[in-house]
Amino acid sequence: MNPILEIKNLKTRFYTQDGVVKAVNDVSYTMSSGEILGVVGESGCGKSVHALSMMQLIPDPPGKITNGEIWFDGRDLLTLNEDQMQKVRGRDIAMIFQDPMTSLNPVFTVGFQIVEALLLHNDMTKEEAKERASDLLNLVGIPGAKQRLNDYPHQFSGGMRQRAMIAMGLSCEPRLLIADEPTTALDVTIQAQIIDLVKKLQDELGMAIMWITHDLGVVAELAHTINVMYAGSIIETGKIRNIYKQTRHPYTIGLLGSLPRLDDSPGTELVSIPGLPPDLVALPEGCPFAARCGYRIDQCLTEKPPLVEIDGENHSVACWRWEEIAGMGTK
Amino acid sequence: MAKINPEEITVTDFAVREHRSLWGDAWRRLISSNTARLGMFIVVLFVSSSTLSHYFWKYEPKKDLDYSLKLKAPNLIITEEIPSTHLFGTDKLGRDIFRRVVHGGWNSLRVGIVAVSISLFFGGAVGLMSGFYETVTMTMVERLILFGTTGFLLGFLSAWIANQYFQLVLYTGLGLAAGYYQDLFKGKFLRMVTFSILGAFFSAVPGLFISPTVALICGLWGLFTGVLLSRPLDGKFFSNVMMRLMDIVLSFPGYLLAIAIVAFLGPGLGKGMIAIGVVGIPVYARLTRSVVLAIIHKEYILAAQSVGESHGRIIFRHVTPNILSPIIVQTTMGLASAILSAAALGFLGLGAIPPEPEWGAMLGESYRYLTSGAWWAVLFPGLAIMLSVLGFNLLGDGLRDALDPKLRT
Ligand SMILES: Nc1ncnc2c1ncn2[C@@H]1O[C@H](COP(=O)(O)OP(=O)(O)OP(=O)(O)O)[C@@H](O)[C@H]1O
Ligand SMILES: [Mg+2]
Repeated sequence: MNPILEIKNLKTRFYTQDGVVKAVNDVSYTMSSGEILGVVGESGCGKSVHALSMMQLIPDPPGKITNGEIWFDGRDLLTLNEDQMQKVRGRDIAMIFQDPMTSLNPVFTVGFQIVEALLLHNDMTKEEAKERASDLLNLVGIPGAKQRLNDYPHQFSGGMRQRAMIAMGLSCEPRLLIADEPTTALDVTIQAQIIDLVKKLQDELGMAIMWITHDLGVVAELAHTINVMYAGSIIETGKIRNIYKQTRHPYTIGLLGSLPRLDDSPGTELVSIPGLPPDLVALPEGCPFAARCGYRIDQCLTEKPPLVEIDGENHSVACWRWEEIAGMGTK
Repeated sequence: MAKINPEEITVTDFAVREHRSLWGDAWRRLISSNTARLGMFIVVLFVSSSTLSHYFWKYEPKKDLDYSLKLKAPNLIITEEIPSTHLFGTDKLGRDIFRRVVHGGWNSLRVGIVAVSISLFFGGAVGLMSGFYETVTMTMVERLILFGTTGFLLGFLSAWIANQYFQLVLYTGLGLAAGYYQDLFKGKFLRMVTFSILGAFFSAVPGLFISPTVALICGLWGLFTGVLLSRPLDGKFFSNVMMRLMDIVLSFPGYLLAIAIVAFLGPGLGKGMIAIGVVGIPVYARLTRSVVLAIIHKEYILAAQSVGESHGRIIFRHVTPNILSPIIVQTTMGLASAILSAAALGFLGLGAIPPEPEWGAMLGESYRYLTSGAWWAVLFPGLAIMLSVLGFNLLGDGLRDALDPKLRT
């Protein structure tokens, strides 16, 4: 498959009064068209900021992309100006957001907002756009779509708002859809429905999807590839099978250990990772995870491990001791 | 126990939700408050009496004069001495005060609307732009608009000192150039040198035609402007410059500034409107900026950006409707204070020119007769001012409560 997105050495900083927040540190990866990529990591590890950097929607000031290249469709997005980016957004890359409660404008009907988005990128009349908007709401599984177009966001439930947001994201038929924790605020059944929906849509429309979440369980059902982020860096990436079966980074092991599994025998205790992620203003010199890591050696405190590929299948890990960990064998 | 007839039970369809609009809700809350209703009543009375009298009860102040009826107390009964009824009495020129109070309302209404429109338009625009672009990257056209405006506004001092208003064009040009060539010698000392020399040159040379002193002052100001414009021109910079300009205007006591502007422009109701409007600009600019900053990080703004909507569209479709409530409240209260300011200017003889009926001017003409017992000549215009101000304030208070998003269910 040909790459649709290639990020090289992306760095994003926030220059705040308390110091420089190093939110994204040297992130590099590739996405193929039609791929579903899961981006996972704890709260505050820079998942949203790295996605917003791709859209160039970082609030500036205080934020700045200080380094990197983002190649999409043969162009480095970071060299484009605002006028050119406005054409990329929505048409090439669209994004749906974390909070279903605030991502729709409260003063307009849901239909109006979807129609607006449709008219923006498609050459169609208002009538056609309305028609298409109700098709889209149907597609994302909102019953009575036609009447629902005239509802205000506050008349929708959280799950419906999220679906409406997805419909809006789909309206421009982007080639890459970034979904930033779109199911976090929803209950488990709705979450499952949305995941099925996304899989189905991806089959039908063939777009690449970046699914940002801190829930490894969701990603396991959905993604082809996973990026595990920690303190603004990717610390392990690879095909989903490799990440789950040949976990190499102690942090990923910890994340997986804190995930309840159906095959756990009753009474198995969930492991949680002790401690807190480092302050992004004062990142340690060595490995950012060292302070919380059970496999720590002296080298971890002084030298930051690079992300290296460990097999022929694009499985990469940033840990000095991945070979030893591989030797120990994960559960 | 009474038997229940199944046919009497009506089924409520719980799935069908009531279609409530936000404004409908606010309206219901507004009319449920007694004080807001009172305010609304006064405002409606004031607006309708002024408008109707202006169009259907013609009054020519220049011809209204009858010394034989000088300073008559209110009378309802026609006598030989006073052949007409005067509900509010007559003033020193024998004019019917009731009629003048009613017609004075039209002037107050005009002042209020025009002055508040000026404040709202310019203040709102400055506030919107400052708040919005503080964190949003500008396109080239937006950059030119913002920094052209910055240059224009900064040029005022120089243009005013030299009394050469064509200098505004030069300053605007400097702003446009700085915005357009934002990457020229970026971050280098050379940029500062270039722009400060340009600024100093273009404002000192026309100043030379006036006098060397003027040329020096204008040149220094041009130098300063050039230094400012050589800095990184982002939205934060624009916002800072605008807010400092607003601070300068705010640092003068309001009435004093209005009086100074009237002194500069000359007296008259129209000039008074402009003066009051200009004095009000910073209030609206600051309010608008602060409410924009409060909603700019809402996800629906990000969402609109992420589907590729243009900034103009986002400002008008997503920002403006969501900041309307505090601005509506401020506008209502602003009408009250504009009416009061107009009356103050009128009282000082700087507003409406006699014999034009205007409440403040009426007070100013009549208070000297208070000692001779003509209380009516002062009381009724005074009451009119008080009531109209009270009405707008009560309505504004009511609107504040009605539009408060915290009460929204
Ligand atoms: N506007 C901002 N100003 C300063 N710091 C910011 C800003 N936005 C984000 N950050 C910082 O950047 C870091 C990364 O934030 P980000 O929103 O990407 O986290 P996240 O991984 O998406 O977390 P979550 O799962 O909670 O959404 C955080 O430490 C945050 O404090
Ligand atoms: Mg996030």
